[in-house]
Amino acid sequence: MFAYYFKLSWLGIKRTPMLTALMVIAIGLGIGVSMTVLTVNYLMGKDPIPAKSHQLYHLQLNAMGKGPEWNYTADGYPWQVTYQDVQNVHRSEIPTRKTRSLATGVTIVPDNTIPNETGATPFLESTRAIDRDFFAMFDINFIFGESWNKQVDIDAENVAVINKELNEKLFKGENSIGKQIKLNAILYTIVGVIENWQPTPRFYDLNNGNFNSTERLFIPFSLLPIHELPSWGNNQGWKTETVNTYQDKLRSETTWNQYWVEITSRDQLAQYKEWLAGYISQQKKLGRFQSKKAGATLRNVNQWMEYNHVVSNDSSILVGLSFMFLAVCIINTIGLLLAKFLKRAPEVGVRRALGASRKAIFIQHLVDVTLIGLMGGLLGLALGQLGLVGVKNLYSSYSQLVYMDTSLIIAAIAISLGSSLLAGLYPAWLICRTNPSVYLKTQ
Amino acid sequence: MLIMNNIKKVFRTDLVETHALRDFSLEVNEGEFVAVTGPSGSGKTTFLNVTGMLETFDGGCYTLDGKDVSQLNDNQRSKLRNEKIGFIFQSFNLIPDLNLFDNVDVPLRYRGFSAKERKSRIENALERVGLSARMKHLPSQLSGGQQQRVAIARALAGEPRFLLADEPTGNLDSLMARQVMQLLEEINQQGTTIIMVTHDAELARRAQRNIHIVDGQVSDYQQLQPVLDLAEA
Repeated sequence: MFAYYFKLSWLGIKRTPMLTALMVIAIGLGIGVSMTVLTVNYLMGKDPIPAKSHQLYHLQLNAMGKGPEWNYTADGYPWQVTYQDVQNVHRSEIPTRKTRSLATGVTIVPDNTIPNETGATPFLESTRAIDRDFFAMFDINFIFGESWNKQVDIDAENVAVINKELNEKLFKGENSIGKQIKLNAILYTIVGVIENWQPTPRFYDLNNGNFNSTERLFIPFSLLPIHELPSWGNNQGWKTETVNTYQDKLRSETTWNQYWVEITSRDQLAQYKEWLAGYISQQKKLGRFQSKKAGATLRNVNQWMEYNHVVSNDSSILVGLSFMFLAVCIINTIGLLLAKFLKRAPEVGVRRALGASRKAIFIQHLVDVTLIGLMGGLLGLALGQLGLVGVKNLYSSYSQLVYMDTSLIIAAIAISLGSSLLAGLYPAWLICRTNPSVYLKTQ
Repeated sequence: MLIMNNIKKVFRTDLVETHALRDFSLEVNEGEFVAVTGPSGSGKTTFLNVTGMLETFDGGCYTLDGKDVSQLNDNQRSKLRNEKIGFIFQSFNLIPDLNLFDNVDVPLRYRGFSAKERKSRIENALERVGLSARMKHLPSQLSGGQQQRVAIARALAGEPRFLLADEPTGNLDSLMARQVMQLLEEINQQGTTIIMVTHDAELARRAQRNIHIVDGQVSDYQQLQPVLDLAEA
């Protein structure tokens, strides 16, 4: 019987093409606007590493002294940690994996690698200084080679891992393991090439742009004091200190590094927290961690994103407004549906006289609105894609957020069908309650 | 068998209360051809709508084929109407977007017949009214008389026990009217009970019984001599 209802709906659409087009446009506009905003909002807050987000922890330490507190975060903890703390906590062997992390940058001299072929001049490249565990912790796949060995994290070596894109640029995509690149006039040996990796949001470093592109070049963190790698990210301080040399900065209370650990069980987490408490207690004796709020905090990936307001309040308000716009579109659609259905009332009278029950008439009209909703949903998806392209053009930092995944496409169709059914309930109910004899009487 | 006892039907607005049927009582036997006449506004169409269960009533008792209609819900009334009653209207009431085949198909769809059964019934019904060659035509491509014959085919396709006709020849010229009337008589002779509302005294005389309604009540039962041919009248 549903096939019959669909046939009747299609005939109905052909009978009232303008009314149908207006309804499809109304629903399409509502869905298009809602899906544009919802997509950006959804991808902002989406778990970027669902398989491991609950076991990757970001460390925050409040090493401040007595006096003014850190007022930039809700709990009074700086976002990043000092170099000396990163070095100290890195000694703990409790975590399954661990990595120090710093946003830095180098100059790459390509003619050292493929002379006269790339023809490119030296260029600056954002670089991430990390430990070898970084790749395994964040599930980054290697195309060629692997991460450097563990000893490199202690005894620094000039080795590097590059991503596929940079490998294309420097080595035309060939296996570049063992080849050398010149970074800041120093030769580094390539030990690994990874797939292009772009978590959205860029959860591993929310201090330097939630949706920025990831680095294409990775070098050992242990090289920091040797090559005096600069910070290309945020540096925050609370203490008046004289920092004239790189060594001064390494010894300072400036927070400019990040630290991540992978912990796979509750016991391990408790044990690590206990270890951190011990570390803080020891540091207190050395005159650090004197603040009332002194301590350590571990947040998993989702907690860390929430803490950093990756999904801003403005974005949530926009979602609300877009759904209000959808509601206005639905209300308009109700009016148009009423006009369409009442135009068809005489036919309904005939169908009732020929044996159609109210239920049958009601279902037939809901099938009508389902078909309209489906068309509106498809138009909405197309408009939503256009909207996302507009967002991409307006805000380059959102370039990673301008795609709809399968779940969003399904959501768009579901919202469209739900909206149109909601819009159609009253008109369908009204038409099925109409007294058929009114339209059959001819005398 | 159709039995109505003291049926009341009142139409109410904020200002006016109109008694369309007052203590209306009637019995129609299996196979009868009953003509219902009366002046405009006397309640003929209301009677037909109540008979066809398109209108509810406010009092009295109505039994159709042994079933107390007042006890049925909308689904049951729709099912009973679909199975037992066929309608013919003055303005044909064909669905303009559907071709003849699909128009005749409408009641059969609600009956739940298989596609094969429906096809066979539709072809037979259109054959019976002489329009089997025009199944794919739209109603707008037919004359008034042909449209009414399609409406009769639609009413007959489900093989109903009762045929309710509201001024079936009202929109037709005399020649077409005669053809339609002959068709109805043939249908009646094959056992279908027909109740026909008409203004036309000549047509009414061709029925076996004439019921005259005035002010919502049966004013007179007339047992008329059947007329074999309208031309002879």
